[in-house]
Amino acid sequence: MYEGIAASRGIGIGAVCRIEEHDLTFDMHQVEDVAAEKQRLHDAVKRFKEETTEMAEDVRKRIGPKEAAILEGHLEMISDPAMVGEMDKMIDSRQCAEAAATAVCDMFINMFSSMSDELMNQRAADVRDIKTSILKLLLGIEDIDISKVAPGTVLVARDLTPSMTSQIVKENVAGIITEIGGKTSHSAILARALEIPAVLSVPGILDQVHDKDTAIIDGTEGQVFINPEGDVLSTYIRKREDYIRKQGELRKFYGKDTVTADGKKLELFCNIGTPKDAKKAMECDGEGIGLFRSEFLFMNSSHLPSEDEQFEAYKEAVETMQGRAVIIRTLDIGGDKDIPYLHLKKEDNPFLGFRAVRYCLKNADAYKVQLRAIMRASAFGKVKIMLPLVTVVDEIRAAKALVADIAKDLEAEDIDFDRNIEVGCMIETASASLIADKLAKESAFFSIGTNDLTQYTMSVDRGNPHVAYLYSAFQPSVLRSIRNIIKAANEAGIPVGMCGEAAADPLMIPLLIAFGLDEYSVNPVLVLTARCIISKWSVEEAKALADKVMELDTEKEIVDLLKASAKEL
Amino acid sequence: MVSAKLKIVNGEGLHMRPASVMSKAMTPFQSSIKIKFNGKEYDAKSVMMLMSACIKQGAEIEVVCDGPDEKDALKAATDLINNGLGD
Repeated sequence: MYEGIAASRGIGIGAVCRIEEHDLTFDMHQVEDVAAEKQRLHDAVKRFKEETTEMAEDVRKRIGPKEAAILEGHLEMISDPAMVGEMDKMIDSRQCAEAAATAVCDMFINMFSSMSDELMNQRAADVRDIKTSILKLLLGIEDIDISKVAPGTVLVARDLTPSMTSQIVKENVAGIITEIGGKTSHSAILARALEIPAVLSVPGILDQVHDKDTAIIDGTEGQVFINPEGDVLSTYIRKREDYIRKQGELRKFYGKDTVTADGKKLELFCNIGTPKDAKKAMECDGEGIGLFRSEFLFMNSSHLPSEDEQFEAYKEAVETMQGRAVIIRTLDIGGDKDIPYLHLKKEDNPFLGFRAVRYCLKNADAYKVQLRAIMRASAFGKVKIMLPLVTVVDEIRAAKALVADIAKDLEAEDIDFDRNIEVGCMIETASASLIADKLAKESAFFSIGTNDLTQYTMSVDRGNPHVAYLYSAFQPSVLRSIRNIIKAANEAGIPVGMCGEAAADPLMIPLLIAFGLDEYSVNPVLVLTARCIISKWSVEEAKALADKVMELDTEKEIVDLLKASAKEL
Repeated sequence: MVSAKLKIVNGEGLHMRPASVMSKAMTPFQSSIKIKFNGKEYDAKSVMMLMSACIKQGAEIEVVCDGPDEKDALKAATDLINNGLGD
């Protein structure tokens, strides 16, 4: 068994197809006909541009603009006069086209990779890709055409280049194994987008396999078996059937209401990070957006995004959701999220420092730009404003005052917006939890952020391995906090949701049902799973379990009991 | 020949996107446009050369234009850099 990074879920079983690194050696020779040699180079560059343009177009359609941008970057680089121009100069001195392309690309690769700068190192990888492609064209080497592989193929490669990934036909590829790449690499993103099981970063795997070997990939656990012995294969065939059956079971929940076993209707929303994700939320049958993180607008930019830029992004998400609620969380920076152009000062205790709503209220002019953009978007659907990291009542009052000011301006300018737009708090600090009853009087809704709530309640940095064991939403103190927040909201008659990872946790869901949570906001891919789990529990049964759980003293006892009580999916 | 000393204001420095904005805007000018940085000269019409200069935010550079439309070129370069290169 080999282990790697579990990059895309599911079980894949199939025949290995090795994607070998090509031998790109060539004869160095003096060129006689300089003009003809240049023509040969220019033809190769021209074909490279045509193929890359086509691939970029295809990737944009099938996967997304962010993926296509990598290929568009390649186009821009090869179109630079310094590239082909320098290569031409070398051919003038009678070098062959292969040598010229290699020398010029290597010069840039060395230059970019010698900089201690992550982004520039990526550019070096780009030039390396370009060099390989141009050499292949010059040498007449055809790539393995991945689009033609037989059904049930497991691709094994050192890495998948953008050009390879754009050829993958989902129906024929049972799995992907690579030697390098992590969860956020090009290959991983693509595999997940196409729902192909993938295990990445399996060291030396290419040398361990032959074409036609039988490979099993467990993309959920990150495990790979080659030519499995004994009953491993039959076990995994069963596992695969089980996985597919569960996916099939889950599909039955598509288009259905989210209801408990005894018929209590709940709301099942999605967490998203970009307007494009809203489409995914719709495809996954999300009933609304419980958390739209607005940071992407600020982090993928090198300047403060203008009101119109923000408005367009919010509007896109709101229109995609076709009248379903979209809760937009205002800028949540600081802590671990830095935005260089804002020039935030380094702090000794960033998580206890100048972040989120604290920063925004101190920079009211910039904050009003965001609030105004959100309010303008509210004319196109149902939008709510959510404030992150609230700790005191003054913060929600101050934000509501800004909203009221903007409302007056918009009225005066005759710009349409939702006059009843709701402003609510994210409850994720110990303070907010303890004064939840007071905040509930000022808030139109609550949303519990379990990640920060756990961190602040337990006073633990989950990135610190020495204390990470304390980081659990199942700690008695965190559960009490969650229960109190929900109770305060229920008593005040305002809706309360949860947008942390815990909202989709099969062990947490019965407790949330028992406490009276109204809205569950989860990663789009978990919508149907969460709906299925909710359907298995009646409120009464959940309450009986929660009563027992809240009597227990330790996190371990709680998790053990919840596991023992969990329902089969 | 005309020249101006400028400071790079955009957060990323001269990475792919800003370098691409710069080179595209400079290409139409007939004059040669060079960026002097750290004692070296880089062709402002080349995205690859601009990136290879590894110019970071806050860096002080000199733009040197030479040719028939050198004044217009310098003005265009100055405006662009002072405005954060289209960002």
